[in-house]
Amino acid sequence: MANPWIAVGALALVAVAIPIGMMAVSSLLRPTVREQGKSAAYESGEIPTGSTRIRFNIQYYMVALLFVVFDIETVLIFPWTVIYRDAVGSAGLATALGPMLVFIGVLVVGLAWAWRNGAVRWVRSPRAEQRRRERQQQ
Amino acid sequence: MTGTAGTVGETASVFLQSGSGQGATEGAPLADTVGRLLGFGSNMGPGETLIAAFIGAFFIGNLMLAMTGVAGPWAKRKITAAFTDRIAVNRVGPFGLLIIVADAVRLLSKELVVPDGVDRPAWDIAPILMAGSALLGFAVIPMGNGIQLADPETGLVYVFAVSSLASLGLVAAGYASNNKYSLLGGLRSIAQNIAYEIPLVITAASVVIFAGTLQLSGIVAAQTEPLVTILGVSIPAWYAFVNPFAFVLFMAANLAEVGRNPFDIPEAPTEIVAGYQTEYSSVYFVLMYLGEFLHIFLGGAIIATLFLGGPAGPVLPGIVWFIIKIWAVFLFTQWMRSAIPRVRIDQLIEIGWKGMLVLSFANLVLTAVIVGLIA
Repeated sequence: MANPWIAVGALALVAVAIPIGMMAVSSLLRPTVREQGKSAAYESGEIPTGSTRIRFNIQYYMVALLFVVFDIETVLIFPWTVIYRDAVGSAGLATALGPMLVFIGVLVVGLAWAWRNGAVRWVRSPRAEQRRRERQQQ
Repeated sequence: MTGTAGTVGETASVFLQSGSGQGATEGAPLADTVGRLLGFGSNMGPGETLIAAFIGAFFIGNLMLAMTGVAGPWAKRKITAAFTDRIAVNRVGPFGLLIIVADAVRLLSKELVVPDGVDRPAWDIAPILMAGSALLGFAVIPMGNGIQLADPETGLVYVFAVSSLASLGLVAAGYASNNKYSLLGGLRSIAQNIAYEIPLVITAASVVIFAGTLQLSGIVAAQTEPLVTILGVSIPAWYAFVNPFAFVLFMAANLAEVGRNPFDIPEAPTEIVAGYQTEYSSVYFVLMYLGEFLHIFLGGAIIATLFLGGPAGPVLPGIVWFIIKIWAVFLFTQWMRSAIPRVRIDQLIEIGWKGMLVLSFANLVLTAVIVGLIA
């Protein structure tokens, strides 16, 4: 059997060649009519105000950090799942399952801590929070 | 461990042979089969392997493109119309099927409007990345009748790795478009993808506990044993029957990964126009749309392989069953799209991190305990 990654590499080239081929065909077919106003950003028909390249409150910054932690964890879990059945047969249930339970337990404690601290909550910006308070007072 | 992998691999090839009934060339990866058809002999050199692999890859790519071609312009409209009591396309050709050709020509020949201030290389690369990453995932999916381009031992991890490349395309498209709606859509899609990626992968890991291998042909082969026999009909041990809880979790997480209701906030047409694809027109829009549908089919292919026995099924050949299964998952996503309201972004984050993640870990630990007690 040949090395499977040769075929995967071939598909990678095909997967890039198909979109580029479609772009090439389209560039032969399509018209280009330059018109004033056509190339403005579409904001529901309003004239665009301001730039998009501003500082923007990405509200899930803590969530993204958690994601990195858990993503690495899944990588560490996969080898265990592969050998688990054989390990139970050869080394017994406690030896095969115990360490992984401890590992997952530590992560679950971490998740519970993050949860309590409000890391997995959709954070409102201070300004939105202030506006909400103002609305309630009215 | 190696002993088990070997027997599983042998079972796989035996199963594929008996399933297709076309002789000894079945069961090998597609590249080898193509090479044999071209008369390269059993021991191919690097050049010959490359040629065979290219032909196989071209076949797989066009098969999936044909599927999305039917799904995008025709099936999606017909399904949505059926749910909303309309007729949809029926003028061009039988059942309106030739609308596929008409739409392809129409979309490709539209003018490409490049908005002011787009970040040019990123804006151009994003559609290629969206469509290409989905196509790449199909390399390791066993489609029956020996149609499987490659069968690496780490197939499952590979599929998840390449399919999550699309997030990169989404954020590039959202940021480079210089449009506020696009930026919001791109940020939302990243929030969603990272929240549901972990439950998806952890649930897949619970299937690997049963199968004991990451090789997709091995996972399919492990599902061929009969589970129970009722009235002479033996029900195979598909993991959807063995572990229905994991199946439900995976279906839900998959809906979020492909961005369909109730998790369609990255596009949310009533809130942010079309999200990250607002500023795309002409062939770029086709590629974004194509990438989305390819991802739905890739999700269906992963579900079919992990939970529905891959290409296994009675009477019909494997490839037909495989196509039926991925279309069933496609129909399910379209059904959800028509039937279920959208969740809010804060609800989405909470469902993902407080619900799905905890449930998926519970599922993993429970599966491990049950398998450990039985084995």
